Amino acid sequence: MYSATNNEQQLLRALAKGERVATEQIYKQQFPIINSWLIKNGGSADDASDLFQEAMVVLFSKVQNADFTLTCAIGTYLFSISKHLWYKRLQQQQKEPGRLYDNTEDDGGDVGIAYEEDINVHHEREAHFNQLDAALDQIGEPCRSLLQAYYHKDKSMQEIAADFGYTNPENAKTQKYKCLSRLRKLFYSVQAK
Amino acid sequence: MNTNNIWELAEAYLAGRLSLKEQGELKSRRETDEVFASEFNDNLNLISSLHSNGSQKRFRAMLSDIHQQQAAPVTTKIKRTIQLPAHFWRTSAVAATVALLTSFISYSIMSGGAKRNDANYTTISNTVRAIANDQNKLKKIVQDSVINKKSPIVPTSDVRRTGTGFALTNDGYFVTAYHVINDGNGEGDSVYIQSNDGIYYKAFVVNYSAESDLAILKVEKKNFQFTKGEVPYTFAGKKAMLGAQIYTVGYPQEDIVYSEGYISARNGYRGNSKQYTMELPAGHGQSGSPVIDARGNVLGVLTAISTPKESNTYAVSTDELLDLIEKMPPGNKMHLPKSNKLSRLSREEQISKMENYTFSVKVYKK
Repeated sequence: MYSATNNEQQLLRALAKGERVATEQIYKQQFPIINSWLIKNGGSADDASDLFQEAMVVLFSKVQNADFTLTCAIGTYLFSISKHLWYKRLQQQQKEPGRLYDNTEDDGGDVGIAYEEDINVHHEREAHFNQLDAALDQIGEPCRSLLQAYYHKDKSMQEIAADFGYTNPENAKTQKYKCLSRLRKLFYSVQAK
Repeated sequence: MNTNNIWELAEAYLAGRLSLKEQGELKSRRETDEVFASEFNDNLNLISSLHSNGSQKRFRAMLSDIHQQQAAPVTTKIKRTIQLPAHFWRTSAVAATVALLTSFISYSIMSGGAKRNDANYTTISNTVRAIANDQNKLKKIVQDSVINKKSPIVPTSDVRRTGTGFALTNDGYFVTAYHVINDGNGEGDSVYIQSNDGIYYKAFVVNYSAESDLAILKVEKKNFQFTKGEVPYTFAGKKAMLGAQIYTVGYPQEDIVYSEGYISARNGYRGNSKQYTMELPAGHGQSGSPVIDARGNVLGVLTAISTPKESNTYAVSTDELLDLIEKMPPGNKMHLPKSNKLSRLSREEQISKMENYTFSVKVYKK
């Protein structure tokens, strides 16, 4: 039978793959809610799209994990993450140190901690990715462009061979491995600092 | 095995392309060959980080694409139908987008009025959840009232919003911002003020103007007095000059907070002539605070800030307040203070006087 829960699971699986239709659907359903909440709580429309996109990335990363569990509806999850992110931001700006003001009663204390955890994981991951990007920036050409084409732009080795002027994909692949070795050296030396 | 092969192996392993036999071989090699295992693990981590970083980047790009797509049709529509000065266009487009989007979701937002849908204008009452600090204070007051019979009234339900109010007369009339009392989702069940010494007094609304965002209330208790003396400040009858030095005291937190600034524009938000625009730091909870000039004249009532930069703070000018006082329902006799006792005092002395007449306004709802 068709049920809301099944539907949400399907939606999440599609989201995990980065499917646009699913992402758009979640966006349309959830963004207005968060947007209006944030504006009531002292944020701007720009803040709202910032926060919501950040919350979506948190969810996206979470569902990458094959055995992820979402104990609540997608909307509840995104809303709570957005709220937590917003409070964090306010705290950082020291507008309102430590004060969480709110007129919705939907998230209990325990659940709040779980979200907190997800956000911390998210921040660690972001820091990790930033280090990786920093290492990529130092690696030099053509390695930087080649690795970005493969990993960031999701291009095939055939396309890359053509774009970068290698005689065949095999040569491009050999070059990619060389680049990876250089990146590894750079990345782990950055991390060691 | 050379370096390239280890990369290839790691790639194949991550992609799940290894046969069972190959997986077995890999497993035993990782267990026995430490050097290989550490290199292999590093490669594995690096590749999977690169992959997830990449897919996250693509996801982010898609999100902002979706966002722009969602916003775009609405903005063009607005541009066609309404002529606005160029510098308001962006703000208005955003506000209109918000209005359209929220209308699907929440009727209450729409009914809250145009201001509420505007991204750059935020009223600054403080919507709070029960806060430990507050709870403790309540507990203390309960104890006090039991022991000393000092304060017979203790609010029972949760604080929904806080703002600031200040006395109009010593016998219990005071003013705050209307949105503190009613944020567009209906009035609270009860309004209390908490004076400087922590005692709660129940108050009721006497008169208000949603349009100018002012509300006049009165403390319920008979023969109530804020302090022994008359209210020491006066209310400016006409608008102050541009550049006038001003200050305010209010309750963005449990303790009273002072901040100072100057009038930066004669009119308020979008040229609202009933308001001032000020360069004055203010935060949530300070709605309803008095805006006072150097001589102790109250010039206005603080109501809103512009976001996100919070560079501007807005106050409703006192001529609006005086207007509202004139239109009081019959039976309310208000004797506004006629003499200003603050004018010769230093700023510190002024503030310490002001403290007695400025208090936190708390709105409760079951």
